[in-house]
Amino acid sequence: MKVTQKELYGAVVLELQGKLTGGPEAETFRNIFKELVSDGKMNIIVNLKKVDWINSTGLGILISGYTSVRKAGGDLVLCNVGDRIDSILYVTKLNLLFQAFEGEEDAAEYLRKSKE
Amino acid sequence: MAGQHNVMELIIPSDFKYLGAVDAAVQDLAREFSCAQKWIDDFSTALVEACTNAIEHGNKYGRKKRVRITVELNQRRIISRVHDQGKGFDFKKYLSHAPPPDPLSERGRGIMIMQAFTDQLNYSFNPKTGLCVELTKACGGTAEDDS
Repeated sequence: MKVTQKELYGAVVLELQGKLTGGPEAETFRNIFKELVSDGKMNIIVNLKKVDWINSTGLGILISGYTSVRKAGGDLVLCNVGDRIDSILYVTKLNLLFQAFEGEEDAAEYLRKSKE
Repeated sequence: MAGQHNVMELIIPSDFKYLGAVDAAVQDLAREFSCAQKWIDDFSTALVEACTNAIEHGNKYGRKKRVRITVELNQRRIISRVHDQGKGFDFKKYLSHAPPPDPLSERGRGIMIMQAFTDQLNYSFNPKTGLCVELTKACGGTAEDDS
């Protein structure tokens, strides 16, 4: 899993690429979220456009990130969720937890407005 | 795909990096049968989840332990069996009484995912050979339905 990071209208976009499978990867992501929160970057957009699929331990990574930033007073949202991942979010009811947007711009706009 | 029948066997180390190979193999097999992409994705999601559990909970990432996967596809259904080399668990409890996990829990959704994307999910345990998870799904649409 590759992760690239950029800023968009005050939010941090994490673009993931590959398969989000958890396991040993989880620690890497915990550190990324921990570092972002400690730098005061608490509005996170996770772009899933290049993620082929996700398993239950991969979902755990997203939930861990969500919990970290929410505790710090921020928010974590998703964008570019493909059909396969959307189905998994739906059957696990995590579609009720994660706000999902079509693209990065929409997600950033939501986060910007929610801070007002 | 009338009359066709295909069987595949994979043996993978207990490492998540091989889950992609399982997904790719099932995708290729099902495409040969012109199965609808949504149907393939759903079954493969369930199978990857069974392998995830086998690696994490069954074999506990043991470097010498393997996960054996068989996939049998015919015109009526697909059946896959995932064997680990672990000590098993109280699957009857999880299959019948498992409460849905707290929304913020990072774990506990594996069986939920497998049940959602298959028609039948069975577990069996043999102390000599380990845990076996059997996933069955009736054939859905064909690739023509995708277009």
